[in-house]
Amino acid sequence: MIVTVLSNPNHSRAVNCSLQRQHSQLPAGPARSGSQRPGNAPAARDAPAAQGCGPTAVVRCQQYPPLRALQASAALRGASDEHKKEPWASSSQQHFDSPPAGHQPEQKPQGPHPSYTGQGGQESEDYESEEQLQHRILTAALEFVPEHGWTAEAIAEGAKTLGLSVAAAGLFHSDGSELILHFVSECNTKLSELLKKEQKLVQLGEAEKKPIDEFLRDAVEARLRMLIPYIEKWPQALSVLLLPRNIPSSLNLLTSMIDDIWHYAGDQSTDFNWYTRRAVLTAIYNTTELVMMQDSSPGFEDTWRFLENRVADAMTMSNTATQVQSTGEAVVQGLMGAAVTIKNLAGLNQRR
Amino acid sequence: MAAVRLCRCRCRALLSRSAGALRARRGLAAGPEMHFGFQTVTEEERREKIYQVFENVAKKYDVMNDSMTLGIHRVWKDIFVHKMNPCPGTLLLDVAGGTGDIAFRFINYVHSVRQRQLQRKLKHHQNLSWQEIFESYQKDKFNSLGDSQVVVCDINREMLKVGKQKAQHLGYSEGLSWVLGNAEELPFDDDKFDVYTIAFGIRNVTRIDLALQEAYRVLKPGGRFLCLEFSHVSNPLLSRLYDLYSFQVIPVLGEVIAGDWKSYQYLVESIRQFPPQEELKAMIEDAGFFKVDYENLNFGIVAIHSGFKLHNENTSC
Repeated sequence: MIVTVLSNPNHSRAVNCSLQRQHSQLPAGPARSGSQRPGNAPAARDAPAAQGCGPTAVVRCQQYPPLRALQASAALRGASDEHKKEPWASSSQQHFDSPPAGHQPEQKPQGPHPSYTGQGGQESEDYESEEQLQHRILTAALEFVPEHGWTAEAIAEGAKTLGLSVAAAGLFHSDGSELILHFVSECNTKLSELLKKEQKLVQLGEAEKKPIDEFLRDAVEARLRMLIPYIEKWPQALSVLLLPRNIPSSLNLLTSMIDDIWHYAGDQSTDFNWYTRRAVLTAIYNTTELVMMQDSSPGFEDTWRFLENRVADAMTMSNTATQVQSTGEAVVQGLMGAAVTIKNLAGLNQRR
Repeated sequence: MAAVRLCRCRCRALLSRSAGALRARRGLAAGPEMHFGFQTVTEEERREKIYQVFENVAKKYDVMNDSMTLGIHRVWKDIFVHKMNPCPGTLLLDVAGGTGDIAFRFINYVHSVRQRQLQRKLKHHQNLSWQEIFESYQKDKFNSLGDSQVVVCDINREMLKVGKQKAQHLGYSEGLSWVLGNAEELPFDDDKFDVYTIAFGIRNVTRIDLALQEAYRVLKPGGRFLCLEFSHVSNPLLSRLYDLYSFQVIPVLGEVIAGDWKSYQYLVESIRQFPPQEELKAMIEDAGFFKVDYENLNFGIVAIHSGFKLHNENTSC
């Protein structure tokens, strides 16, 4: 990712940030679950609430109602486009990133943003937006997590490696929520890519299609293995993810990941099965994650065995469910038949 | 009679504020005519008058702060430093920080964070030899602030004097330096500081845009600008009570405690003349800061504005 800075940031900021969306050279962007304000036009900073942020962001965004209506509407147009295409945009938290431009390389060009200096502005393709910078800082901060935990200190160290001042950690909330959510969404994206690659191999005929229980098992195992480098501090991360402020985002990330796994497993149900399948897999994933937290066996064998058993349980449970249903029906029919017989015997059926 | 006086003050405030806003909108640098409280003076006169105001109040500054705000200013400053959340190794520039309130709080905060860090490191030292533990103690003992430093800069010599005396009295010795300087023309190099703070000082700066540009200049990329200042109360009932308190009680307190009615009259008038939250936010953005936002304390009596310098003019990554 090339980042150069202009000599006149004030004048060109508005136009450049919008152009950056089109020409970004980011790899397939990590899944993000929310946006505060796409940091393009300066007006975007004034009009966060109007851009379709989630309900929790609105409370905070309403603190500064947009003063520059013209620019706000221009930013709105741009931002709402992004939001429409973003499948898992959800309510955002205070300083959470918005989906990076790299995710939608063919976004239609936005009209010239009226910059508040009134100048057309030079065009540069390498201007980095706020979100991308935040993204880079968080990625750099991840390597300091095993030492400092999921805290503002890790973010400060990460910022230092990028050549920024340690005060840049103030861009994020002091309890490290953004760092954790960033990490989770990165893991989810990696998982999606992995599953997509496997699916391609199957389509090309180079690999065999796995049976469902094996597929689910492998997917959950792959996802949980991504936690291994951070396993010591992961309980802290889990507790932060459960804070009321973070629950919408974390829940969103979780459900989209489960949805992904089922999608690649070939689930095409359109009835109530859709819900039961996802609920079951969510339960399997969460319980396995918790087991992994306190697993001290070599290579986490106990966890994988636990996972295998749970998936097997789930499979038999679905069989059991159909059996129970048919047994139930049979029983009901038997009872009905018995009732009719008794009525006949008692002579109540005869017409007089 | 009090009501009439209040109305007159408010009318004058409205007039001078709209005049000032007009000037700003026309894009002219605030011309030779400026406001000093509710009076209109030239730029030079304003600087002189403000210098005199603070020269007069320097000795009683802290006492007056406590009595005017009933001690709440300490809470405001605590919240301010908490919002900064500095980690050890931060270089802070506190502008208009005369008597050192923010600087001392910063030092305390960094000290306690550093203690916690050292404790955590100790916990990991469970299986080291005594020699190694002793060595690490030696290394860390002389670094109780973790290389953090605060530079207190003020334009007024008297305020700096009072600040130095306070530091001596309270026992703050390391990590502190006192510099005489003008916020519109800081005597520092570019890209030096991690955090730039100005608490209850930007109101007295004659050219706020210049001060913001200087702030942008001396901050490192990634550095943070923080401003604590009296601001606009939007709640109408509270606003009336606040006006009543400001114009009736504070100058009287000034006369009684510090023997200086005029300075405190200037103070409350200058609060009314200062741009409200949104306008200041726009000015900070104009100076080049990103992610600018503000937080109201006490319904807008005080507001904390924060912005980040995210890019450097001359670097490319």
